[in-house]
Amino acid sequence: MRLGGVITVLVLIGLGFAAAYFITDDLIESNIEYEASVLNEAKVEFDGFEFSLLKLKMKWDRLQVANKNSTMENTFETGETEFSMQFWPLILANKVVVDNVKLTGFQLATERETDGYFEIPEEEKNQEPGFIYSVVDQVASQAKKNAQVKFTDIRDDLNVDSLMARVDIRTDDKVDSLRNGIQKTYSKWDSTFNNTSINQEIAQINKTVDSIKVEELKDPKRVVTTIEQVKKLRSQVDSLRNRAQTLKQNFENDYGTTTDEISQIDNWIQDDFQRAVNMANLPDLDVRNIGTALFGENLLGDYAVYLEYVAIAREYGSRFLGDAEGRQIQRYEGVNYRFSDKYDLPGLWFKNIELSGRTLSNIAISGQVTNISSDQQKAGEPIEFNIGGQDKNQVNLSLTGEFNYLEERPRESFEFNYSGFTLSKAKLSGSDLLPYELKTGKGNVNVSLDLIANRIDSRIDYVASDISFDFASAGEPKNQLESLIRRSIGNTDQVDISALIDNMDGPLRIRLRSNVDELFMNALRQTVSEEVAEARRKIEAEVQQQVAGKKEELVAFKTEKEAEIMERYNELQARIQEQVDKVEQKQKELEEKKKELEDAIKNRIKNRIGIDY
Amino acid sequence: MFLILKYFAKLLKALASEASPSQIAGGMILGMIIGLTPIMSFHNIFIVILILVLRVNIGMALLSFMIFSGVAYLADPLFHKFGIWLLELEGMQETYTIMFNNEWWALTKFYNTVVIGSFATAVILSAPAFPAFKILVLQYREKIHAKVQKWKIVQAFKSTNFYSIYKTVNRVRG
Repeated sequence: MRLGGVITVLVLIGLGFAAAYFITDDLIESNIEYEASVLNEAKVEFDGFEFSLLKLKMKWDRLQVANKNSTMENTFETGETEFSMQFWPLILANKVVVDNVKLTGFQLATERETDGYFEIPEEEKNQEPGFIYSVVDQVASQAKKNAQVKFTDIRDDLNVDSLMARVDIRTDDKVDSLRNGIQKTYSKWDSTFNNTSINQEIAQINKTVDSIKVEELKDPKRVVTTIEQVKKLRSQVDSLRNRAQTLKQNFENDYGTTTDEISQIDNWIQDDFQRAVNMANLPDLDVRNIGTALFGENLLGDYAVYLEYVAIAREYGSRFLGDAEGRQIQRYEGVNYRFSDKYDLPGLWFKNIELSGRTLSNIAISGQVTNISSDQQKAGEPIEFNIGGQDKNQVNLSLTGEFNYLEERPRESFEFNYSGFTLSKAKLSGSDLLPYELKTGKGNVNVSLDLIANRIDSRIDYVASDISFDFASAGEPKNQLESLIRRSIGNTDQVDISALIDNMDGPLRIRLRSNVDELFMNALRQTVSEEVAEARRKIEAEVQQQVAGKKEELVAFKTEKEAEIMERYNELQARIQEQVDKVEQKQKELEEKKKELEDAIKNRIKNRIGIDY
Repeated sequence: MFLILKYFAKLLKALASEASPSQIAGGMILGMIIGLTPIMSFHNIFIVILILVLRVNIGMALLSFMIFSGVAYLADPLFHKFGIWLLELEGMQETYTIMFNNEWWALTKFYNTVVIGSFATAVILSAPAFPAFKILVLQYREKIHAKVQKWKIVQAFKSTNFYSIYKTVNRVRG
């Protein structure tokens, strides 16, 4: 045994411990701060950092995680935190596994004393933004757009005269058109009756009848022949009468259509009136967007922030996964055989974090975050969190959820509820359309989000209840829109807004619903109906004035023309009847002549042969 | 340069007569184990402690380590293949699993092909190498040492002031 050698060994061991004691704290602190800052893209800083190599215990008095979007602010900070790492995973597999962390003094969005900007080294810069960031961008852009919604089309007055100038009164033109139709129909039938061949035929029949000289007929045979001729004339006259009758029926059918059209005049007047009323109903104002304009920017802005946290979680998850994979085995380093999965652990694994702290609004919160790991597949557990709290005024806050990267498709879901907070002195909207503070009110926000790979289904519900607005401080409404908004929300004690953002059925849809839409619509209807009631009367009077007497005048015109045509028809009928009478008279005369001639022949035979036929 | 010369002188002195052949062979064996196996292996801590604590020749251990590190650089692929054969031995699987699951055994990294392959090779070689090294030392002292003393480089070294001072200091220290 060599004494000097033993002393040398002991001195070396002593030096090792001394180096570990004096050097490790700063070395480990700066390494962790650097790696965490790269991940966070803004400074991550420890105060009072201690690391005990012997106990494998880590402790810090304060941890600040700067907000990369606002570097003078921390995303969160913690107070005193202490935990121990498992020895063997660290020594044998270089894996940091922590069973329990007690994290106190957790606070969101705290101010920083120094700028938290961190220049990410070029080699550490990350790839392009992922899917969730693209959703964040779209939502943020929609929020910005909502803030720019202007109701420039709304009119401040309802001027009936200007309204009437815009209304096209069609009854007048239709009546004129109908009058022209009647005139044309009259002209057509007037011409028909004047030019009908019936007149020539009557004249022909009349001439034929007049040419028959009954007293000149001496021959019975000739008389019989003439009677046959007259019978034919009778048939001809009957035919003329039928044709005249048909003409009359056609005329009556034709004019009947005109009668139907005249009866439409009342409907035309009604249509004109309705059109004017519809126009007075401000059809160019899209009231469905009022809720979006009032609350869209705030709600979607908040949503984008929530989603960004999820994006960070997913991005970090994938970064860790990326680091774990694909490490090449160098030549002659050999291959490690694994005879069990005992050390097949994630590089970093916080199994259980007991968290406590305060929110900005001073709600004492506590809860658990479990299984934060750099490789969930190795940990076999998703990140789960359940944090909540309540203050003395019964304001509740809860956040539960899961970030699950166990399967091929990453899945994030969470539900956040913040209820019972006071809205006194608060503004419901940042929009110029709703600049009023609330005198009273309680708020309730509920956010739920389900994200599976690139499929997102989320909803934010915001309910402000027991509210009353302080309109008095804002003075008189400056315009009709402001007046309408006041009227719509002034009588309600609750405003609810929902934002639905999903891409379950295709491209990303961002929809906002609010009872303010309906309230505004009702107020608008009420306002309009009051003004339109007056407008209705004016419109009705105006329409009536413009079309008054037209119908009566048209009916008289039509009756007059109808009478004229009927007179033509009656004349025709009279002339036909005259011919009928003449033909019948002639036939009668001929029959008598025939009898007279027959009797003369009979008497002559009797006188000659003494036989009475 | 001074340290190298000093080290060289010590080596020659040890080989000549100062140290026993077993101490020299022991140092060479332990140095060989460190040299053939990956230096950061856990078992090498024990080997270093053994070198420091046991009365083996440290200089020879260092020389052996340097020589066998070079050998290992060339032989690593063979160690890797030998390690695979060892780790895949059917009858040893249960033992390996127990060793793997035991944290202290796991520290040795014997589940690595090069570590176990080179360590096993070094241990196997130790058995014939120890007597062989002893014989070599004796043969050196008997046949080679006198010739080496006549080498011009050694003569030149001995004629330097540095060597005179070194000899005087050594004599005073006893």
